[in-house]
Amino acid sequence: MGLPMMSFRPLRSFLSELWQDKAAAIGFAVMVLIVLMAVFAPVLAPEDPATQSLLQRLKPPVWDARGSWDHLLGTDNLGRDVLSRIIWGARTTLTIGIVTCVIAAMIGTTLGLWAGFMGGRTDSVLMRLVDIQVSFPGILLILLVVGVLGPGVWTLIAVLSVTNWMVYARLVRGIVSSTRQMPYVEAAEVIGCRPSRVIFVHLLPNLVSPLLTLLILEFTNIVLAEAAVSFLGFGVQPPDTSWGLDVASGRDYLFIAWWLVTFPGLAIVVTVLSINLFANWLRVTSDPEEREKRFARTIAAKRRRRRAT
Amino acid sequence: MTSKVLAMSASLAALVLSGLTAGSATAQSITIAIGSEPSTLDPQLRDDGGERQINDNIYEALMARTPDGELIPGLAAEAPVQIDDTTWQFKLREGVMFHNGTPFTAESVVGSVLRVIDPANNSEQLSYFSSVSGAEAVDELTVNIKTSGPDPILPSRMYWMKMIDPGYAAEGDLAGVPVGTGPYMFDAWNRGADLTLVVNPDYWGGEAQIDDVTYRFVPEAGTRLSGLMAGEFDVITNLLPEFTTSVPKFAAVPGLETSVFVLGTDNEVTQDPKVREALNLAIDRQSMVDGLFMGYATVAKGSHVNPAAFGFNETLDYYPYDLDRAKALIEEAGAVGKPLVVIGESGRWLKDREQIEVVAAYWAETGLDVSTEIQEFSQYLDSLMGSGPRPDAIFIANSNELLDADREMSYIYHMDGAAASNSDADMAAMIDAARVETDVDKRKALYDEAQQLGHDLNFTVPLFNLEDIYGMSERMDWQPRTDAKLIVSEMTVTE
Repeated sequence: MGLPMMSFRPLRSFLSELWQDKAAAIGFAVMVLIVLMAVFAPVLAPEDPATQSLLQRLKPPVWDARGSWDHLLGTDNLGRDVLSRIIWGARTTLTIGIVTCVIAAMIGTTLGLWAGFMGGRTDSVLMRLVDIQVSFPGILLILLVVGVLGPGVWTLIAVLSVTNWMVYARLVRGIVSSTRQMPYVEAAEVIGCRPSRVIFVHLLPNLVSPLLTLLILEFTNIVLAEAAVSFLGFGVQPPDTSWGLDVASGRDYLFIAWWLVTFPGLAIVVTVLSINLFANWLRVTSDPEEREKRFARTIAAKRRRRRAT
Repeated sequence: MTSKVLAMSASLAALVLSGLTAGSATAQSITIAIGSEPSTLDPQLRDDGGERQINDNIYEALMARTPDGELIPGLAAEAPVQIDDTTWQFKLREGVMFHNGTPFTAESVVGSVLRVIDPANNSEQLSYFSSVSGAEAVDELTVNIKTSGPDPILPSRMYWMKMIDPGYAAEGDLAGVPVGTGPYMFDAWNRGADLTLVVNPDYWGGEAQIDDVTYRFVPEAGTRLSGLMAGEFDVITNLLPEFTTSVPKFAAVPGLETSVFVLGTDNEVTQDPKVREALNLAIDRQSMVDGLFMGYATVAKGSHVNPAAFGFNETLDYYPYDLDRAKALIEEAGAVGKPLVVIGESGRWLKDREQIEVVAAYWAETGLDVSTEIQEFSQYLDSLMGSGPRPDAIFIANSNELLDADREMSYIYHMDGAAASNSDADMAAMIDAARVETDVDKRKALYDEAQQLGHDLNFTVPLFNLEDIYGMSERMDWQPRTDAKLIVSEMTVTE
């Protein structure tokens, strides 16, 4: 009886804390909705996103004079339902964005931690590796990898991870090498903590909030990079689709069919915005110092209000 | 008060009008937006569309074509004659001068020919002149062009070879400041921005109406369109069919390109003639023309050979749209659920990706397990012409610049052709025989037979003869050409 209550308590306190920041709460709700939309795409989509109908192509959305209820958001250049494509495209876009960010962050964080913690020659070698990778043209690497593995979603994830980890490594290494000089880390080492304890207990928590911010920013980059790469023919293959690909291929029709670009574009904007709102809150919440400041601000605001009344 | 304003505005309008007409009487200049900047202005080295679009106005060749595609003498005074199996004799037009004042003579032709075929120059245009082995001057205005074997289409090839001044080529800057015999002369090239030509007042064919032309390099179709709408450009290339209703003026003309899928006749699934027939029957080409191209394309008539080309077999039937029959054939062949990989590219030809996606969807309806691979262009070229395994089906919009069936035949039907996916020795023998057959009727018969064979065995899935669409400003008057050349001397401005 008491056990389920126990496990719900952290969730409840998380939600009630989130509710204090309305913008973040809305952002979180939209994020959850988008993820649910991606998961339940087969149930939600009114039509098969790959079904073409050349006679029905470029139909405007329902509120336009020429629109119809058959296609709420209109049809694209091959007569496919735009709404269904957005719902299904969420799957590809979110999968590629999230998985790529996580893999790239893992590679980058590990190497950055290692470089920053070890210092000296290890640091120089690893950071030169980062420099080399940064100066290497990404598109060329993509060409090489796709040539070997063949195009597809997972190739795309692999390629984008390999071309995007460097920024994490640089950030993490910078923070770690400065934090290492802090008295509390030195103290931990002096009293004989093992390196793994120093890294995970004393260094890593300092990284959570900048890393989260970076992850969110990078997610946007990945969505856009995926669009460009898919349009060139490296990535998502028809009949699959993604938001970025829809934007890219609808571009030619912008003058006569704005809905091809607008709706998938809006989907990207809404996703990125809601993630940003939520991430901003998460950054503050996960950083003890920032959190204290926020708490102090709320109390101060309450006091002011009480005095006013 | 009101009448005063009216009178004033009327006189103002009259003033503006008179100014306009006066302006048009003195100088006519137009701006053309093209898709890519020339990599060089040397007319003999690169196979570069941007270079051609400009140099077609500066240079001329021995042969020319009418806007409808008929071969006529250009710098040659009359149609050439084949004096023996390996020699074609050209008589040259008298009194033609290069822009730098050098007269155009038989020596200029010899110099031009030898320069293109010189292996040291490694010209990308060599594939058009593979049979040419040399040239010699007979007298001042007569020249013999030698071929390595009998070459019935040498006159068509000479329509492709621009004539340069060999003396200037040796000393001057041919790549930066071109000097030709054509109706327009080079003026200035601001790299990355624009290029200007001015009219040649001493042109042998008479002075053209438009005095100067500015070319702008605009790769994005949308940018070209908005430039035209804003009045910045007078002619834009590659207009999408959807935009024909929104531009001030447009013109469409059957072009050189035919879109087609080449089927791998030795591949696991597509080796069965029934499967290949099913693939041809499963496509509703007419609704693709109506829907995708809005009528600006025609269904290819049973073959991927350009209908304007010599050797096109007019007797072939259209492939009908019969989905039930296609399904039955796939069933008979035992190919239900078997994988078929469709390979293509994106962004190179008019609606390429869309054609590939639509056709793949039609094919999926037959019961085959169809997957599509849109490849990056260099990788696609490797799939199309590389030495690796042949794809099940690969898309290409094949262009026939020489307007002779030999081009499509040796490229796609001949088993040794770069883009061919079959190993039919009979077919190859017919094409080889036709290439050296100097009797016009016999040659036509060989091509007819080869096309019939390719049609019956469904070696390819021909789709459409594409049309080129140009957008124009209100004041332009121009009928585009079948060979897609932008000849400014054929344009006029009405104002």
